[in-house]
Amino acid sequence: MLDQTIKEFMETKEFITLYGRQTVQALFILIIGLLAIPYIKKGIKYVLARFGVKQSISATIANVIGILLLLFTILVATKQAGMDNSNVIMVLKGIALVAIALIFIFRPYLPTLPFKVGNTIKTGNLLGKVEATTVLNTRMKTFDGKTVFIPNRLILNDYLINYQYTPTRRVKIDVSIRYDQDLMKAKQVLEAIMIRDPRVRVAPRPVVYVLNLKNGCIELGGRCWVNNVKYWVCKCELLEKTKLGFDHEGIIFARPQLDVYQHDEPDSWDGIEEGQALSEKGEIGIS
Amino acid sequence: MNIKELLKTVDKGWVQKPKGFRVCYQKRVNDEFMTEYMPNEKDNPLDSDIVAWRSAWKLHQATLTDGPEIAEDELVNIYVIDDTGKRIKYYATDLFEVYNPYP
Repeated sequence: MLDQTIKEFMETKEFITLYGRQTVQALFILIIGLLAIPYIKKGIKYVLARFGVKQSISATIANVIGILLLLFTILVATKQAGMDNSNVIMVLKGIALVAIALIFIFRPYLPTLPFKVGNTIKTGNLLGKVEATTVLNTRMKTFDGKTVFIPNRLILNDYLINYQYTPTRRVKIDVSIRYDQDLMKAKQVLEAIMIRDPRVRVAPRPVVYVLNLKNGCIELGGRCWVNNVKYWVCKCELLEKTKLGFDHEGIIFARPQLDVYQHDEPDSWDGIEEGQALSEKGEIGIS
Repeated sequence: MNIKELLKTVDKGWVQKPKGFRVCYQKRVNDEFMTEYMPNEKDNPLDSDIVAWRSAWKLHQATLTDGPEIAEDELVNIYVIDDTGKRIKYYATDLFEVYNPYP
């Protein structure tokens, strides 16, 4: 028993004497490589962003370089450990070829996410900007600063609005004015406000419609097109200018109103039927 | 006149669409008033007159001094111009406003 233990100890000692230094060096290279790769990827993304490269492209470039660096680290580490690299290289080549072949064959059948990194999307009740996508989930930052990780299967099974699929969006400026106001003047003011804004596109042209006549007001709808990126700010500013422009021109906005008519109480009140009868006659009314 | 000609005429003669806006102001340097712009003329102009007017007002508030004399850092005659250098009306009052006017 003791002899056996001593023999094992001697074997271990011999192994450590022969390969210990190399193994430690290999492990050191591997650990340093694994720790450095994320920082290198971040650095690449930062540099590419400085040169104006799109976020999605820079992320792809950084990921590819990250994978190559990882393979390089593994190869260097295994070589340092005294292992024969030729087998590892062969296996990696095989995996790469199979992966490429599979991607080419199945690409048309693979479900793809209908957005890119940097797009503003709405899925379910979540509205925000896509920061990153992986095979399993999508990282999104909402406009109030929350980071949400959404499983891709949920996105693929639900409806999704990609606000940047098309380069432009239509801005709606809906306002209501009173019946007694100058309708033509209001239309002119609203149209001029939209035309005058540099962000509003020349084509399709801004237009103003009379949307409805009800509840004691004329509902006007201004419609114009702006670039996606400018949509929200432009809409807010057009609303502000509309309010001030109408004020300046003396056009009065309509307010929600309810006219209640009060009539004298009838001598006898025998219940609902009589009330209904009075209502039908027009003696009690709410409009 | 066809519809294209009509639209061309309307675009030329009715409401004009500026390409951008700049805040224009004068600064006292060595007893002389120098005209400067924000953003600079070599930079792209602002695409919003609201932002331009708000910036003009903030510049006015930030550089205003109490004394009767115009101080060295005080900005005078602050207003907004379009990309052609023409003064534009303040959208809130529809008047040609000038902050801190100085003759």
